[in-house]
Amino acid sequence: MSTPEAQASTGIVQHTVGREVVVEVKDLQKYFGRNHVLKGVDLQVHRGEVIVLIGPSGSGKSTFLRCLNFLEDPTTGEIEIGGVHVVCGSHGGHFKKDVHQIRMKCGMVFQEFNLFPHRDATENVTEGPILVKREKKEAAIQKAHALLTKVGLADRMDFFPSQLSGGQKQRVAIARAMAMDPVLMLFDEPTSALDPELIGEVLKVMRDLAAQGMTMIVVSHEMAFSRDVADRVVYMDDGYFVEEGPPSEVFFHPKDDRTKRFLRHILPEKEPEHAKELGIVAVGQELPDPDAAPLQGAAGVALNEDNLADTAIPRIPLSDGPSGELPLPPGNEEL
Amino acid sequence: MNRRAWVASLGSFAAGLALTLTVLAPVALASGSASPSASPSAVGATAPKGTPIVLGTIPDPKGGNVNWTGDQVRINFDPNGADVGANGKPLANGGLDLAKTKLFINGTEQKLTSPPSVVYVAVGNPTLQYIWNTAYGKGAYDLKVVMVTQAGKTTEYAWKFGSQGSAGGGSLINVQVMKDWFWYIAAGAIITVELTVISIVLASIFALFGALGRLSKKMTFTQAWDRYRSREYMVRMVFGRIPYWIATFYTSLFRGTPLLLQIYVIYFGAPEVIRALGLPDTYNPSPFVAGVAALSLNYGAYLTEVFRAGIQAVPKGQNEAAWAIGLSGWQTQRRIVLPQAFKIVIPAIGNDFIALIKDTSLVSVITVEELLKRASLAGASSMNFFSTLLVAAAFYWALTIFFSFWQAKLENRMARDKARERERR
Repeated sequence: MSTPEAQASTGIVQHTVGREVVVEVKDLQKYFGRNHVLKGVDLQVHRGEVIVLIGPSGSGKSTFLRCLNFLEDPTTGEIEIGGVHVVCGSHGGHFKKDVHQIRMKCGMVFQEFNLFPHRDATENVTEGPILVKREKKEAAIQKAHALLTKVGLADRMDFFPSQLSGGQKQRVAIARAMAMDPVLMLFDEPTSALDPELIGEVLKVMRDLAAQGMTMIVVSHEMAFSRDVADRVVYMDDGYFVEEGPPSEVFFHPKDDRTKRFLRHILPEKEPEHAKELGIVAVGQELPDPDAAPLQGAAGVALNEDNLADTAIPRIPLSDGPSGELPLPPGNEEL
Repeated sequence: MNRRAWVASLGSFAAGLALTLTVLAPVALASGSASPSASPSAVGATAPKGTPIVLGTIPDPKGGNVNWTGDQVRINFDPNGADVGANGKPLANGGLDLAKTKLFINGTEQKLTSPPSVVYVAVGNPTLQYIWNTAYGKGAYDLKVVMVTQAGKTTEYAWKFGSQGSAGGGSLINVQVMKDWFWYIAAGAIITVELTVISIVLASIFALFGALGRLSKKMTFTQAWDRYRSREYMVRMVFGRIPYWIATFYTSLFRGTPLLLQIYVIYFGAPEVIRALGLPDTYNPSPFVAGVAALSLNYGAYLTEVFRAGIQAVPKGQNEAAWAIGLSGWQTQRRIVLPQAFKIVIPAIGNDFIALIKDTSLVSVITVEELLKRASLAGASSMNFFSTLLVAAAFYWALTIFFSFWQAKLENRMARDKARERERR
């Protein structure tokens, strides 16, 4: 995997050229009633790629992820994962079978873990292989033990979810998803429900997975993780993919105003050290230390309080409104 | 007399249903033959068809320490085919010719204040009844009944009885009566438990499918049309909605009508349906089967709503996690949702189980000899309803306490992973 620096220098993801395409999404749209949540997104993911989806709450990140394995039923569009092609919206033909195939090829990790509380850690992991892949019980248990050991839970194999910490639960959930030998792993804010001191152990497992070449799509605002592990960061807003590129591009040289504004909110909160290093402070807070290295905008202009004001986006202090909420761009108030 | 009014009211009710009853009588008696005064000395089952079989009498041929009012004799009998006329139509009075049927006490024909009658103390269970004014007191009696059928066949049945006299002067709670009838009533408790356990198991099965049916509705037709705009999808949705409609109809019907009525409809209605379908009478449900059917269908309707709430109480994320690892809808329900839902609904099922123990008493009206039926039969025989019914009440209470205890045990067992958690700490 190329380093973020290398990607930054070329501006495109060179190393994926010629690799097998694992995920192909075309013009995916999703309505909840009359609420248009996904407004036509396209995505191509190659084998071994790690995609990180960022964006404000309500931008459709989770919905997009859940559409990929049909936990939400996309309204229109096409999805192809691991060679299984589904045209969304029609429910005839092989739709059910194809959805089942896709679900077997996708592992999913949820924000709230969703472990089966009446099964211990091992049983949680063996449930899929035994029931869906018809594996022998002994073989499935062996595999589960290997996976649980890999995620660092060798001494917790017969514990019930209620006996595990959040980080341990999430690691069991990752092992459970991996037990199905997926070609693609989906992570829906895997660390958002965790206490800060437990986030690291989960991220470490995810880093290991990425290092082993697992194809992953991650919804997460863990900037350090994204910076180190992601091949591509996609900024999503209002149902569109607004901006995508290597993390160095999207995080440090965002082109779109909405991305810039979002990062100004998210970076100081999530990664105070990193933000300070970049000279980013939360809106409404004091200006950065003038000695600190200024964040370079897309046009080579240092991103700071002054020139961000030029983007004509209303400034709202972080303390206002629900956390993570953004002031809406003009013309989008009705959403 | 209070007792007469009781008998008469039941009798008049039964008369309204006599047409059905007479057809049912053999079935009813087949299972309900162990009446309190049944005796091995009764005319055996070898009696030729058309000759009534005496099943039991009041006063009791066993004699013993039993009180007798001395002003009436009742004979519970199996018409044994005598109540069906040559043209296959049912005959009145259980097929007896009352003008020729006679009762002898100590060799003398008993003079009556009103003609003998045949009543159905319990429906489908004919009882020949002799009532007069002057009461016989304490003493030994030779009793004999000569039953003559309308077809002219004669059956004689004679027994001896030693009477302690009327119970009128006895104590309110007659310990001797309680002792005498204890085991007879206890046997009814076994029937009560059988009824309850079989019914709750069947009810749970009905409720499971009912709940899945009730929950099969994912969205309204309007929502589906808004979302898919596909005629083909709508047509499939109509078929997919059928389980929901069936389940909704089922719960609405069985929760919306009285249980007692359901018991009557199933017991008396089923034979009519079977006859209308041209099937032989052997398909008629026995009182026990009809009782179990009514109780399980009724409680199934209530448990449907309990199960539905239990399934809905399982977080949606559990479904999603199961789907995400590729489990089918049914696998998800069976392996993930239902075990968790079951744990949630155990207290509610336990509640209904205890309510069901008591509601089984309602099937006494279709001659199932469970606790209440046996207690009231014993009460009629001993002329001491208060004592025998108290015995039944004690049994009901003991049963509910016993099952509440096991319910608590089961709840603890289902929470075993939590218990393990405590152990580890």
